[in-house]
Amino acid sequence: MSRRRRQPALFCFMLCSIFAMLFFLLPACSSNRPQTYQKSRALMDTFITITVAAGSGKEADNALETAFAVIEGFGKRIDFFSGDSELSRINSNAGIAGIRVSADTFDLIEKALYVADRSGGAFDPTIGPVVRLWDFHKKTRPSDTDIKRGLALVGYKQVVLDKQRSTVFLKKKGMLLDLGGIAKGYAADLAAESLKAGGIASGIVAIAGDIRAFGLRPDGTPWNIGIKNPRQERAGDEIIGSIRLSNRAVSTAGDYERYFIEDGRRYHHILDPSTGYPAGQCRSVSIITEKGVFTDGFDNAVFVLGPQKGMQLIREINRDFEMDGIIIDADGSVSETDRIKGTIKNEKSH
Amino acid sequence: MKRAIRDMTIADRVLLVMLLALSLTGIFIVREAVPLTAEVIVEVDGRAVFTAPLDADKNVLLDSIHGKIGIEIKDRMVRINEAHCPNRLCMKEGWVSQGVIVCLPNKVVVFVGGRGNRLNKELDAVTG
Amino acid sequence: MPLQDKYRIAVLSAYALVLHGFEAILPMPIPWLRLGLANIITVVALLLYGFRTAMTVTLIRIILASMFTGTFLGPAFMLSLGGGVASTLAVGSVHALSQGLFGPVGLSLIGSFFHNAAQLALAYLLFIQRIEAVLLISPVIFLIGTSTGAVNGLIADLLLKNIRKPVPDKV
Repeated sequence: MSRRRRQPALFCFMLCSIFAMLFFLLPACSSNRPQTYQKSRALMDTFITITVAAGSGKEADNALETAFAVIEGFGKRIDFFSGDSELSRINSNAGIAGIRVSADTFDLIEKALYVADRSGGAFDPTIGPVVRLWDFHKKTRPSDTDIKRGLALVGYKQVVLDKQRSTVFLKKKGMLLDLGGIAKGYAADLAAESLKAGGIASGIVAIAGDIRAFGLRPDGTPWNIGIKNPRQERAGDEIIGSIRLSNRAVSTAGDYERYFIEDGRRYHHILDPSTGYPAGQCRSVSIITEKGVFTDGFDNAVFVLGPQKGMQLIREINRDFEMDGIIIDADGSVSETDRIKGTIKNEKSH
Repeated sequence: MKRAIRDMTIADRVLLVMLLALSLTGIFIVREAVPLTAEVIVEVDGRAVFTAPLDADKNVLLDSIHGKIGIEIKDRMVRINEAHCPNRLCMKEGWVSQGVIVCLPNKVVVFVGGRGNRLNKELDAVTG
Repeated sequence: MPLQDKYRIAVLSAYALVLHGFEAILPMPIPWLRLGLANIITVVALLLYGFRTAMTVTLIRIILASMFTGTFLGPAFMLSLGGGVASTLAVGSVHALSQGLFGPVGLSLIGSFFHNAAQLALAYLLFIQRIEAVLLISPVIFLIGTSTGAVNGLIADLLLKNIRKPVPDKV
């Protein structure tokens, strides 16, 4: 029974196909390459998603849980509405006494005041008395007199910090510190630091639209972050551009997040601290810099300042530390800083 | 048996190795490439309290921070049909076929189509 | 058809039926796992008497077995028929085209591969209709099929050697 007739050509072909197959398929399934793991939680009254690159699910899980715990713990300390938070104690002791707070809370307030100072008050963490007059879900618009009364209690210069004793004091009774415009970015920073300390080399913390990215994706490229279209008209155009980030944060302030429309006017949640009314010159502002606390703080500031003064502020800050920005004004025109020109597609450029 | 093994032609051996390699690598490849069966996962305050396949119609009431929350699965879509939070934004979301429904006051997150499911494969996150 | 052919077909079909039935009562760790022992007969029939005999034996085996178990024209029968016909066709054409390149083991491997491929395709078209489920399970099925196919091929080879041997070792 000699059926071992060799047919060299066919044999070579089969051998080659095996090697070709192994060559293409094996790299795709080697088991130790890092993968991305993702978890989401509802914390700090918002939706948080953390993505990490890790070698194993267990490693990722531990780091993710720790990071969520960090965010949750921090969120409780600066919760505007819970009576026993550090923030609430500062507010209820306004005009009475300075309150000793944890290092993170102190640091956040210090940075909030820095952003307020650099933006000439376009961002103001003491806007609480005005913010609480508005309810964007119930569509309640406060009266002009109420707003005026509230504005009298707004003023970041009335906040006294004592670094030695780690205390915060609001000078006037009735003042309310509201860190809603900056706390999420800071929490993203804290979570990113916690992940790094837990041995995670790369990941993204996304607290609502405040995103802090570090390291590279498992494929060696920077993380890819989409920018939401402030005026989505049809399915498929919810993203108007994307930006590649590594060791950077991005935040976006938009007039479309919480708003109501009354008599053809859009009333949204980004209030101008000088008027107490929603700032009207922009649809959305995205800021990119190293720390989430600054992207989150400055996006509000630039939004309030408007496209011209806002872009000027970004350039000014950029002299001290790298900062980029994308401003979409009330007409939909786009301005971008030079380094990230062309991020927004189909722009009606200036 | 030994003789039978020895008498295998070269083509037999090559074919055997090829099929083994193909099916072995195939196991890993499909595990990577094929999305797992679409699921609905409901988490309350970070704990998964309910899991169900997306393709079986179902109606459940779960405990949340503010009373019960009702989840309805129908025609591979999910909605929250009962909630007792102030604004009930989650109910206004309506039917969702992929992504998440969030009820912040109740700390309820409904993952439609699995936990790691992304809206867009190229984007890692979205700002705004 | 000469009488001898009818006789051969009858005997081979009987063997195949016995293996088919034996396999059906054999307890298996996974319900859908099959050894495909009857394919030994298909390969042996093909190598000894040619394609037509192999196909006839396969058809007789599948139809009779389904009648014995009461699944004639049912879903299990459809799967069985599709797999059997596809694998016999594939083995027959490969054997005709490759001119002895493949021995019994190679032919058995090809048979098992096409048997599984046809059954998966049929299962998808007729019953499951969820492509991800079919894709997820198919490499596992092919892996098991390749292993059982190789063993069946070796058995077929031994059978052929004993049948062809003019003077038996032991009598």
